Amino acid sequence: MKTRLPDHGPLETPRFWRTLEERIETPEAQQAAHDEFLPGAIPTGPSYDDVHGLPPQSGVSRRDFLGLVSAAAALAATVACDRKGQGTVVPYTKRPVEVVPGVANYYASATHEGRRVYPLLVKTREGRPIHLTGNDEHPGVKGKTSPRTMADVLRLYDPDRLRAPKAEGRIIGWSDAESRLHAALAGAKAAGKPVLLISGAVASPSRKALLADLKAALPTLEHLAYEPAAGDAAEVAGLASYGQPVDLQPRLDKAKVILSLGADFLNGEDPEAQAAWGAQRRLKSAHDPINRLWVLEGPLTLTGTNADQRVPVAPSRLGAAAFALAKELAAKGVALPAGTDLSGIPAGAPAGFPAATWSSLVKDLRTAGRNAVVLCGAQMPAEAHQAAHLLNAMLGSEAVGVRATEPLATVKELEAAAQKMASGAYAAAIFWDVNPAYTFPKAAAWKAAVAKVPVRAWIGQVEDETAAQCQLLLPENHWLESWGDYATPGAAVLQQPAIGTLYDTRPGEDILLGALKALGTNAPDGYHAYLQARWKKELPFGTSFEQALHDGLVKAEAKTPAPAFKGASVAAAAKKAAASKAEGLELVLFPGFATHDGRHANNSWLQETPDPITKMTWDNPVAVSVQDAKALGIEEGDLVTLSLDGVTVKLPAVIQPGQAQGVLALALGYGRTTGGVAKGVGVDAFPFLGLDPASANARTGARLAKAGGRKELSRTQSHHRMEGRDLVRSLTMDEFAHNPQGHHHGPELVTLYEEQRFPDHKWGMVIDLAACTGCSACVVACQSENNVPVVGPEQVARGREMHWIRIDRYYEGELENPKVVHQPMLCQHCDNAPCENVCPVNATNHSPEGLNQMAYNRCVGTRYCANNCPYKVRRFNFLEYTAYKTEPETLAYNPEVTVRPRGVMEKCSFCVQRINDVKIRAKGDGRAILDGEITTACMAGCSSDAIVFGDLKDPKSKVSQLVAASRAYRVLEELGVKPAITYLADLKNPAVEGGHHEA
Amino acid sequence: MADETRKPILDRMAALVAGPLLLGREAMNLVFRPDPEASPGAPPAPLRITVTPPEHAIKRRG
Repeated sequence: MKTRLPDHGPLETPRFWRTLEERIETPEAQQAAHDEFLPGAIPTGPSYDDVHGLPPQSGVSRRDFLGLVSAAAALAATVACDRKGQGTVVPYTKRPVEVVPGVANYYASATHEGRRVYPLLVKTREGRPIHLTGNDEHPGVKGKTSPRTMADVLRLYDPDRLRAPKAEGRIIGWSDAESRLHAALAGAKAAGKPVLLISGAVASPSRKALLADLKAALPTLEHLAYEPAAGDAAEVAGLASYGQPVDLQPRLDKAKVILSLGADFLNGEDPEAQAAWGAQRRLKSAHDPINRLWVLEGPLTLTGTNADQRVPVAPSRLGAAAFALAKELAAKGVALPAGTDLSGIPAGAPAGFPAATWSSLVKDLRTAGRNAVVLCGAQMPAEAHQAAHLLNAMLGSEAVGVRATEPLATVKELEAAAQKMASGAYAAAIFWDVNPAYTFPKAAAWKAAVAKVPVRAWIGQVEDETAAQCQLLLPENHWLESWGDYATPGAAVLQQPAIGTLYDTRPGEDILLGALKALGTNAPDGYHAYLQARWKKELPFGTSFEQALHDGLVKAEAKTPAPAFKGASVAAAAKKAAASKAEGLELVLFPGFATHDGRHANNSWLQETPDPITKMTWDNPVAVSVQDAKALGIEEGDLVTLSLDGVTVKLPAVIQPGQAQGVLALALGYGRTTGGVAKGVGVDAFPFLGLDPASANARTGARLAKAGGRKELSRTQSHHRMEGRDLVRSLTMDEFAHNPQGHHHGPELVTLYEEQRFPDHKWGMVIDLAACTGCSACVVACQSENNVPVVGPEQVARGREMHWIRIDRYYEGELENPKVVHQPMLCQHCDNAPCENVCPVNATNHSPEGLNQMAYNRCVGTRYCANNCPYKVRRFNFLEYTAYKTEPETLAYNPEVTVRPRGVMEKCSFCVQRINDVKIRAKGDGRAILDGEITTACMAGCSSDAIVFGDLKDPKSKVSQLVAASRAYRVLEELGVKPAITYLADLKNPAVEGGHHEA
Repeated sequence: MADETRKPILDRMAALVAGPLLLGREAMNLVFRPDPEASPGAPPAPLRITVTPPEHAIKRRG
C-alpha cells in the first residue's frame, strides 16, 4: 500500500491509529479495514499476485499440469515402494534416573548477553530443554528474563551448528585439532611472539580467572573483550567520569522521576528494570504512587512509547540539553560535584525546547532528588552519558547503582589490533564466540589483516563470517550444554548444563584449559573441575554445593566500593556537547530487537517476532521521520540509498511517527552472509559504525535519497484490523482521578442465549495496559511453549503469520510525536464465542471451564471461525509449516502441545496443557488449585507482570479482584460475546497538558 | 478451431517427458540425499541425535 503524507493541516481522525494509512485515512486503508484480511491472505477474489502486479508463478496450462501430475504420481508411487526406515517407539532399556517419561524436569542455569546476566530456569522433557524462564530464586530477576534469552533455546537445536572440529575445511578429531592449536601457542611462546584472543564480554568470574591463568602461562597473550552492540560511547564516558569501566544498574523501584536520554531500558532486555517499572504502573486507585517517565530521544524507542512526557531531540543535541539541565538545577540550588565546570553551557532551555516542558522537567528532577534517575542510551554520544553521570551525582540518585566492571574493547582498539595483524606481528589469533569479520566496520580491511596471521582458530557454534577466515574451527557447546558462573548484584549465579552435548563439541573454556595444560601448567581436567575448585574456595556455600546448584545461585553481596564521580571530567565534555553540530542527517545504529549484534540472526523465532515499534519482520529498513519523508518525497517501502563516509547501501524505508526530524535509525545485526536463516535477511549496517568510540553509534553527515523502486515490507502493523472500534483505552492520571468509575464495563447486555454454566472453574485473564511495555516477551514465550510455526517473510507479507498472541501498537495524536499504547491481543475465550457456532464440524467448542478449545484433527479448514472472530486472533495453516522438519529442529517441540498440519486452524489455548498439569499435581496432592499456581506462558514471560491469569469463579483470586477494578473494560464488549479477557486501561502521568512536545 | 489454440505437439511432448523426469529426480534425491557436511574420511552422520542427561547437574523438580 502506498502512503503519501499530507502536505498540510491537521486531520480529522479516529483518536487511536496504527498505521499512517489509518491516520491519513487513505481510501486503501478504509477498504482494508472493511476487508478485514490482507489480499492474498485468503485465496479468493483478486490474488496477492494480481494486486501487486506480480507475474504468474507458472506458465503451465491445466492440461499440461494434469499430464505432469499423473506421470509424477506414477513415478512417485514407484519410488514410494522403497521401504523407508521405520520408526519404533520403545521404552528406555536403561532409563536415566533423572528422566521420567511425561514429567518435566527443571534445572537452574544462566546465560549472558554482553555484560547482562540472565539467571534462568530450564524446562526439559525427556532430556530435551524446551522452554526457558527466569530463575524465580534470584533476588533481582524474580523469575523473569528477556525475549531473546527465551528464544535462545532454539539455538541449541540450530541445524547449522558445527558438529565436529574442522581444519582446512575437513572434519578432524579433537586430538588432532587440539594438537594443532597447542603447537601454535607453544611456538608463539617459544618465539616470544604475541597471540591475539578476542572474546565477548567476560561476565563470568571463573572465565576471567581462566583467562588470567592463560595470560600467566602465555605472557604474550593479548586479550580483547569486544561487544559490538554494547555502545563504545558508554565505555568511553564511564572511563572519563569514573576513571574505570562501569556498569549501571537501574533500581527503578526507588525512582519517582526517570529521565531517559535515548535509553531503551523497557525493551525487554532488562527484566529487573521492567518489573520495577510495572510495579509502579499497576495502579488500583488514582491515589496510589506512580512514577513519571521523561524521554528525550531521536528515534522512537520502546521506552519512548511508554513515556509520560516525550520530547524528540536529535542525538547530537542530547548532551547539550542534559548539561543545560545540570546547569539549571545548579542555579536552583542543587550542588555540583567538586571541580565541575559548566561555563561552556549556555543558561536556560536549549533552543526549540518548549519552555513549560523544560521548567516542568527541572522541577520534577529537583523535587524528586534522590528518587530521580537519569539513564542514557548505549548508542548516544559520550557527552550525553557524561551528562547523565553528572546529573545522577548531583541528585545523589539512589535509583541507579554504579558498579566497577571488566573493560570492553572499543572499535578503536579493534582497529589497532587489525593494524597489528596486518603488520604480521601475531603468531596466532583465536576468535572465541565473536564475529569481527562481520561486526568490524571496515570488514574488507579486517579480512585482509586476519589473512596475515599464520594460525587462525575459531571457537563458536555456527560457522560465520569469521570462521570462513580461519583454518581451525573448534565447535563450542551451547550454554545449555555447559558449566559456568556469573557475578550479579546480590548473588553469584551458577550455570549448569540441562542436557548432555548433542554433538562432538566442547565448552570454549575446556579448549583453553587444554591449551593451559599444553603450556606446561597443572590445570584441572575439564572446566567443571576447574569451576568446582574455584567455587569451593571463593563462594560462601551455606548449606551445600548441591543446594546451590538446585537454586542456581549463592546469595552474596559484592563488597567492591562504588566508583566516585570525577567532576573535573565535565568541562571538556560540556564544551564538546555545546559545540556539537549535525551536518546532514544523523544516523543512529542500534542493536536489532531480533538480532542484537547479529548473534541471534539465525533464530527464526526472533526474525519473525515483529519489531515492537515498526512491526517489521525479517528486515531492517531505515526509519525516517515524518518531516524528512515529506521533504524527500519518500513513501513507505520506497527503496532509498543511505550514504555516509563513502559507504552507500540501498534499502527500504519506513516512515516512523515520533522520530525526531533529521534523524535516521537503522538496526544492526542484519545482512549476514552465513547461516541458513540469517543469510541475506536485511542489510548490514555495521559498515556505517564510526571508528570514533565517543560517537560510534550516533553518526552525523548521512545522506538519504530515493533510489527508485519499492520493496514489499513483511510488516504486521496493518494486519488483523478490528476497524475503528473502541479497542484501546488510555487515561491520564487526571482523568483517572476525576472519573475513576467512568471507564468501567458498559451496561449488561440482554441475550437470547442461555447463560453458560461453569461448575468448577472459569478461567480468565486480565491484561494491564499501563504495565505492558510492548516488549513482545509474551509473543516469544508463547511461540516456544505452543510450537507456533515460523512462516517466513513472504507469508508474513500476505498476513499469514501464526503468532497466537500479538501486540497491537496504537498511536494517538499527531504524527510528529504521538503517544503510544500497546495492547496484547489473543483469543478472548468468549463465553458466547462467535467462532464456535459457525464451525460445521464442531472443531472449536467450549470447555466446561470456559476455554474456547480446538480439536485439530476435527478441523477441515473452512476458516469460517476466523471470518467470524471479531478479534482476528485465529491463525490458519495455509501451508505445511512443520511436517518437513527433522532433527534437531523437532527436538525443540513441546511434546505437550500438538504440532498442527496444513489446513488446520489454531489459536491461543490459554496454555491448557499448563492448566491440566497443575490440576493433575493438585489432585495427586489431594488439594485445591492455588491462586497464581497456573501461569500461562505469556504471563510467565511478562517481566512487568501486566498479565494475570486465574479462576474467575474464585472471588478471592487476583484475577477476580482485578476484573472489578475501575480501569477494567472488555474489548468489543458491545457485541455481547462475553470475552474472558479483561483489559485495564493504559495510564499516562504527564507533567504538562498534552504530555508530548516537539523540540 | 480448438486445435489451433493448443500448444504445438513438441511443446506438449517436452512437458510430458521433462516434468516427470525432473519430479522423479527430485523424488530420488529426497530418498538418496547426500550429506552436504560429509567429507570423504568422515564417518556417516547418525540417523537420530542421541539425547543424554547432563552430568553432575542437580534438577530443581520433576
